[in-house]
Amino acid sequence: MSELSVDHLLGIKYLKKEDIELIFQTADHFKEVINRPIKKVPSLRDVTIANLFFENSTRTRLSFELAEKRLSADVVNFSAASSSVKKGETLIDTVNNILSMKVDMVVMRHPNPGAGIFLSKHVNASIINAGDGAHEHPTQALLDSYSIREKLGEVAGKKVVIVGDILHSRVALSNIFALKLQGAEVKVCGPTTLIPKYITSLGVEVETNLRKALEWCDVANMLRVQHERMDISYFPSTREYVQLFGVNKAILDSLDKEIVVMHPGPINRGVEITSDVADSDQAIILDQVQNGVAVRMAVIYLLASKIKQL
Amino acid sequence: MKLLIRSAKIIDNESPFNNKVMDILVEDGNIKEIAPQIKTKKVDREITLDNLHVSQGWFDSSVNFGEPGFEDRETLENGLRTAGKSGFTSIALNSGNDPVTDNKGAVSFLKNKAQGQPVALYPIGALTRKSEGTEMAELFDMQQAGAVAFGDYQRAVSNPNMLKLALQYTQNFDGLVLSFPQENKIAGNGQVNEHEMSTLLGLKGIPALAEELQITRDLYILEYTGGKLHIPTISTAKAVDIIRDAKEKGLDVTCGVAIHNLFFTDEILKEFDTNAKVLPPLRTKADVKALLQGIKDGTIDMVTTDHSPMDVEHKKVEFDNALYGTLGLESALGALLKITSLKTAVKMLTAGKSRFNIPENVIEEGAPANLTFFDPEVTYTFEKEHIWSTSRNSLFLGQELKGKVYGILSDSTFLASED
Repeated sequence: MSELSVDHLLGIKYLKKEDIELIFQTADHFKEVINRPIKKVPSLRDVTIANLFFENSTRTRLSFELAEKRLSADVVNFSAASSSVKKGETLIDTVNNILSMKVDMVVMRHPNPGAGIFLSKHVNASIINAGDGAHEHPTQALLDSYSIREKLGEVAGKKVVIVGDILHSRVALSNIFALKLQGAEVKVCGPTTLIPKYITSLGVEVETNLRKALEWCDVANMLRVQHERMDISYFPSTREYVQLFGVNKAILDSLDKEIVVMHPGPINRGVEITSDVADSDQAIILDQVQNGVAVRMAVIYLLASKIKQL
Repeated sequence: MKLLIRSAKIIDNESPFNNKVMDILVEDGNIKEIAPQIKTKKVDREITLDNLHVSQGWFDSSVNFGEPGFEDRETLENGLRTAGKSGFTSIALNSGNDPVTDNKGAVSFLKNKAQGQPVALYPIGALTRKSEGTEMAELFDMQQAGAVAFGDYQRAVSNPNMLKLALQYTQNFDGLVLSFPQENKIAGNGQVNEHEMSTLLGLKGIPALAEELQITRDLYILEYTGGKLHIPTISTAKAVDIIRDAKEKGLDVTCGVAIHNLFFTDEILKEFDTNAKVLPPLRTKADVKALLQGIKDGTIDMVTTDHSPMDVEHKKVEFDNALYGTLGLESALGALLKITSLKTAVKMLTAGKSRFNIPENVIEEGAPANLTFFDPEVTYTFEKEHIWSTSRNSLFLGQELKGKVYGILSDSTFLASED
């Protein structure tokens, strides 16, 4: 396979296994590039990319922007706080205005599930979903799988537990799709109030006990509690959350094996994981961040090559 | 005016001519004669149509237009015309306009606007002022002006004491109370049915529990108060069971179901189509199966289109930002005949009349001619050209439907669908 089966990256559930393999092979190449003294390639010199962030983001936006710049694309940034969205402009109008300035590709983060899919049907550009509400965050899942592959050799057959707020998490959903597609086993663990009632229909198991989950897994992906997405209180206090679902070094050391700890960031130190876990050798959190740039370069490159002769 | 309808198969359980192909002579709005072959030379109009079937005029218990307040979505005039062309001779119009139909003047405005139209408009008055759920509206006054029932459109009566008082108070004048089945705290900010599809799409779910809990509560109150309660649109399997039990107990409760809740499941949400954003939400196959069973065994009393014209500005947006509702009038027969028998379809389209105190006109000599004409066999793909509404938000676009309406005869006027 030399090109992606899709024209947009809207979610992992629209990808084939071969797409993921192609993205990873391409990312391997770019990871080598970004570790060179000159971290830049001229591949996307004729491509203009707009990063549209209708929701706050620091690392994802930075990661995309770096990926784009290292591919030599022209980049424009847009965030909702400084936009006409607040003046009542519709999403389609906002994007079409930007596209009429000859933009080829849109990277969009948006608070509403399905916003990327909606946009792909109404505007003429390649869309990369950088997170749409509680739906998907495909590049995060790709970089997570890529990091597991890098650390453990392959994803197939590995046991991964996703811990935390599954209900509000696009990272959880995309990770479930990506891991299942590659043949990993997946469990989710967290307060039952934050686990969708029908989550097992996605082929994952629910484990309510953190220790059991950790004993079972090869990798624990610790999600952030997304207070900003909660309309009501799903658990009584952070203190109690930590007691039930916080991972500290003592728990890790008491396990029979050395598991890999991941976190999509930003970390609430002392909540999902303690500082000594975050900074330990078992944590690959900063590898994830670095891989994020390489994986995003791969995705952008592969999608751009479908619209331009590179 | 004399009108002769040739070779029409009469579908009317109450009529002595049920299932017979007859000629029908209508004079000055009344059925003058029904016979196998009527020989009359002087008629003003003769109607001969392929595979012509005729039934009592249909009634829809839950319709929304846009007037007053949202005329760009639909006007009363075009809305009523659309209803007529779709086979309905009478409709109950929900109170959710702007301003809300919550007083005598607002009811009179609607009645006056609908004067002279072949389709009869029966306003539903709001149960509470501005449908805010806090103070009861002047129900009797609205009934005097022509309101046939009282309910806050798509808003549950959250305060149980409000429902208790309303069910008690309306007994003084035989009023019908509508209660939208949704427990708001459980529903939260839910957008679609909570199930596998909502999980897959990351959309906030409305659990079936929200509907079932509210209906259960309402029925407990009804059992205590007496009175007449109608649940306008149910959508879950357990809701059917709960209402079946209540009817067996002898409670005066009726319920309806929206045709789209019978025709579609939440599977159709896959592409985030905002026309599939309806309330109550589209549920699962098991729910649809139970709803159809509820129709069969009489638990569900009537179907409705829950017709909700919506401007493109509120549909061509991100799913969370879209408003609820789909058009339903134009596709009503075609969709129903895909899922039920002709006999059931006609029964479901006429059965609501008695509950809403709307005249029933059996097809017999001497009765007022209030008729719907249709061909139940013709199949077609529902396209934009089949939409007569001002708005275009039909979930049925692209669906294969069965059965087309020829028109209605009501108030001495023949309104043809193709006009």
